Amino acid sequence: MSMRKHIPAVTALVTLVGLFVWGSASAAELVVWHAYRGAERAAFEKVAEMYNAQSSGTKVKLLAVPFDAYADKITAAVPRGRGPDVFIFAQDRLGGWVEGGQTIEPIDFFIEDETLEQFLPNMMDAMTYRGTVYGLPFNYKSITLIYNKALVPTPPATSGELVEVAKRLTNVPTGKFGLAYEFSNYFFHAALMNAFGGAVFDANANPTIDRQENVDAINLMLRWYRDDGFLPADPSAALISTLFNTGNAAMVFSGPWFLAEIQPGVDYGLAPLPKLDELDGEPMRPWLTIEGVYVSAASKHKEEAYDFATFLVSKEAALVMALEGRQLPTNRHAYEDERVATDPVLAAFRKQLETAVPMPNFAEMTLMWSPVTTAMNRITRGSATPEAALATAQEQVAAGIAALRRSN
Amino acid sequence: MSLVAGSAYLEDPAVLAARAARRPVWLQPAAIGALLGALLALALSWWFVSQQRAERAEDAWNRGVIMQLMAVADAAAAVERRDGTGAEQALQGLLAELTDGDGHFRVVRLSGSRLLASTAPADRDEAAAPRRLSRDEKWLFDLAQGLRAAVETNVSESVFRRRQVEVEALGQDQMRISLPYFVDGRVAGIVLAERERVLQPSRPSAVAATAGVGLAWLAVGGLVLLRRRQGVSPDPAARNWGLFGAGVLVLAAITAGHGLLELGGLERWQRELTDGLSERFLELREEAAYLGGSLGVAIDPGRDNRWDVDLFQRELGVIGGDGRLREAVLDADIDARAAGLRKAIAGNLGLGLLLFAFFALGAATRTGRALRDNRHAYMYVLPAMFGMLILVFFPFAYGITLSFTEQTALNVGEPITELFVGFSNYLRILGDFQVFRSTAEGAVINYQNFYWTLFITICWTVTNVTVGVTFGMLLALSLNTRGLRFTNLYRVLLILPWAIPNYITALIWRGMFHQQFGVINQAIQMFGGEPVAWFDGVFSAFMTGLITNGWLSFPFMMVVILGGLQSISQDMYEAATIDGASKWQQFWQITLPSLKPTIIPAVIISVVWTFNMFNVIYLVSGGEPAGANEILITKAYKIAFEEYRYGYAAAYSVVIFLILMVYGVFQTRMTRATEATTS
Repeated sequence: MSMRKHIPAVTALVTLVGLFVWGSASAAELVVWHAYRGAERAAFEKVAEMYNAQSSGTKVKLLAVPFDAYADKITAAVPRGRGPDVFIFAQDRLGGWVEGGQTIEPIDFFIEDETLEQFLPNMMDAMTYRGTVYGLPFNYKSITLIYNKALVPTPPATSGELVEVAKRLTNVPTGKFGLAYEFSNYFFHAALMNAFGGAVFDANANPTIDRQENVDAINLMLRWYRDDGFLPADPSAALISTLFNTGNAAMVFSGPWFLAEIQPGVDYGLAPLPKLDELDGEPMRPWLTIEGVYVSAASKHKEEAYDFATFLVSKEAALVMALEGRQLPTNRHAYEDERVATDPVLAAFRKQLETAVPMPNFAEMTLMWSPVTTAMNRITRGSATPEAALATAQEQVAAGIAALRRSN
Repeated sequence: MSLVAGSAYLEDPAVLAARAARRPVWLQPAAIGALLGALLALALSWWFVSQQRAERAEDAWNRGVIMQLMAVADAAAAVERRDGTGAEQALQGLLAELTDGDGHFRVVRLSGSRLLASTAPADRDEAAAPRRLSRDEKWLFDLAQGLRAAVETNVSESVFRRRQVEVEALGQDQMRISLPYFVDGRVAGIVLAERERVLQPSRPSAVAATAGVGLAWLAVGGLVLLRRRQGVSPDPAARNWGLFGAGVLVLAAITAGHGLLELGGLERWQRELTDGLSERFLELREEAAYLGGSLGVAIDPGRDNRWDVDLFQRELGVIGGDGRLREAVLDADIDARAAGLRKAIAGNLGLGLLLFAFFALGAATRTGRALRDNRHAYMYVLPAMFGMLILVFFPFAYGITLSFTEQTALNVGEPITELFVGFSNYLRILGDFQVFRSTAEGAVINYQNFYWTLFITICWTVTNVTVGVTFGMLLALSLNTRGLRFTNLYRVLLILPWAIPNYITALIWRGMFHQQFGVINQAIQMFGGEPVAWFDGVFSAFMTGLITNGWLSFPFMMVVILGGLQSISQDMYEAATIDGASKWQQFWQITLPSLKPTIIPAVIISVVWTFNMFNVIYLVSGGEPAGANEILITKAYKIAFEEYRYGYAAAYSVVIFLILMVYGVFQTRMTRATEATTS
């Protein structure tokens, strides 16, 4: 048997394959980066398939990028003309990417009123930076009250009730706590801060960490922790889920990500964060993180990319993401659907949204975390007063911003 | 092949030297060095000057277009304010007149995303302005929004950080320049021009540079000839300092002379360009005033000339509103530009002198011989060197370059050359001695200070290595007991902490130190003690890291010491016992000295490991409280990835590298010393 006989056939095959590859490359192929896993990933893949089936010519290719490396990969790849056409990320890095330049394509020009009309309130604020819109909001997350139904039959609606229930269920020597949440993590603490009318930045991105409202919010947290004593010390995420699963924490403040950690045997319920009696019934206002769909500035197919982005935020895609991916879509029409409206988890987070506020998307936000975390640790450990610790943090953040801004 | 290569070793250095000295004068290393050094220095100077000439010509051309655009911007603003019917048509006519035949101009208004006027050929007939922008004209809208954002950023921060004039090259010599126009102090839209850039050709003299290079070669060759006439013909591989000194003077004089010549030419060139600009300005002003008058609006640059601006729309002030040059401003500008070039020429001279020194001091000859003699060895390591170049030296060099810039997350888009700040990062790290800060409660340690972090790092390294060696030694000694049963089992158990990935161990320890639920505090309470808030105090938080890392590091020391112990001959102990030495004396006089050659390298390695032990610090205490227990490497990480100051973090890393390098030199000496005593 000689190989020579096969040469024409092989040549023909290679040519065919080559033609096929060339032919398929000429249609627009959109590379989409996401960091989803598990059910979210499966739902997202289903949505992409739905899009591929209905679109003419454009093919969407998904690439799951590990979350830890995600933001840095975007920062490294896109300004150098590589990376995805479309990517998904929360709004907290938006400002930094816009300031760094050549990363996110502004999409004001594409946006039509019908697209804007379908979103829940507040959503576009997170996608807007210095008056320019950079992305379409895809889903949102916020913390809410999650409680063990066996220990807490009816969730507390006010802070007075919360303190009463939590104190009753706390027994420190046996390691039982009425409420557990990461009170020294500023993301969780922000629910109190916002209720008091505090803020870490003013409208012009100047830090306002040491303002009086922020101090008042911390004092209330300290009262819960020190005087009422129903919060476990040094709370890490792992500790809180262990406590909740073993029935040693009756209630937690946490977000949708926490639900996956609850053991099957635990009967839990969700309710909005309580209103604060200290502020005449003002509700706690947790920070919203909103994941946006962005068109990469390096994309060769920006119009197609935007078209896919609008599909992702449509009601059709939102229903799949909500019911199968367990996400909270930003499309308000999705909540008119019977299955979504009657889902206790989705409905509860939708209700919490009424009092939630988007986390600022200033580039300066990234500088805030480290000093503020240090301040919160010093405060909860009692090594500094709230006023002094926040003043130090304010000073550090201001110095960090000055160092970042120093130019010309 | 190998015989030929081997024969090089056989050649007598004296024969080689004599042969080299017989070569013609012009091929002597000093003469070649002078030729190449001068060539490098003058070629670089020539290139810099020609770049400068081209850049100034481009600047001048851009300024001409910017002036024109500023006039159009004024017109657009005036028309927009005038409102009423026909205003937009008027703008279209005005634009065509004002920019007649100069390329394509457009005026875009943000509100309603409208194309107000355009002279582009595509915008005729049905697509004629004014109209709404079409979908494939998104870039126009984005450009306008980008410039508006830039202006707002600059206003809100009251610095000039973002460019307000966008200059893009569309292709070979095809330029697009755009800038905003303001109505009532706010950016209403943009005006932009797409034009072919025609520059007057201008090059520095090639003859002068060539003559300079030839002169350097002749002069140094002449010096060699002179010495040979005097009967001195030294080995070219030797260091001829006298000749080198004379050559340095020659090169310096030629480079400086050439530089002065070219700087003079450059100044004349800039004056010529500025004169041309002021003429264009006067024409433009006249035309704008005439056209504005016919429409009933005033288009005027004002007394200080608002039209002649830089890329941040700051008035340059070189050409006054009357078209006259302001000599003082122009001179200052010329001086400022010349200062940079003078530094560059001095740098070129330095490079040229380095090259010259390489030849004139015999290093080139010696390198050439070494390469010839060992060419096979060099060939074998070539692939590895290539790999090292890409994987090690390039990132390393990039890191060092970065350390001289002020790159942050907010300016990564800008080219690195525009962010150079010299040594200021290093000065701010090393020059900040404020370890103590006075506050209302008295002097407080500033935990962010470099020297505090360095102090903690040194404490951390010293205590950890001590703990590791002590426990390793104790365990090794007990495992080495004769007649001990299950030795292998103990060994496996004791090596386990080393085998588990250290971040897992670190996270487990972190959990064990928890104030309420940690096993350590629960044990303390079981014995009636008070629970310790481990991460609250500087000392206790330091201890958490020390305990964790001690747990991680003793197995390594134990294994190393155990190996050393087993190689000590039993005869020595028997002899010592016969001489009546106690166990204690045996340990100090026999065991420790015999272990020295094993322990010292292990200590040296573990010092480097511990110095940069990122995982334990980052995962266990996280530098708590308030960053007091940060070590240098975790601090560098926080600066880079939590504060996003890349340049500063790079400088921090370079400082860490330098500290370890000093330690490395010291360690090599130490190792040599131990080797010397043991051999």
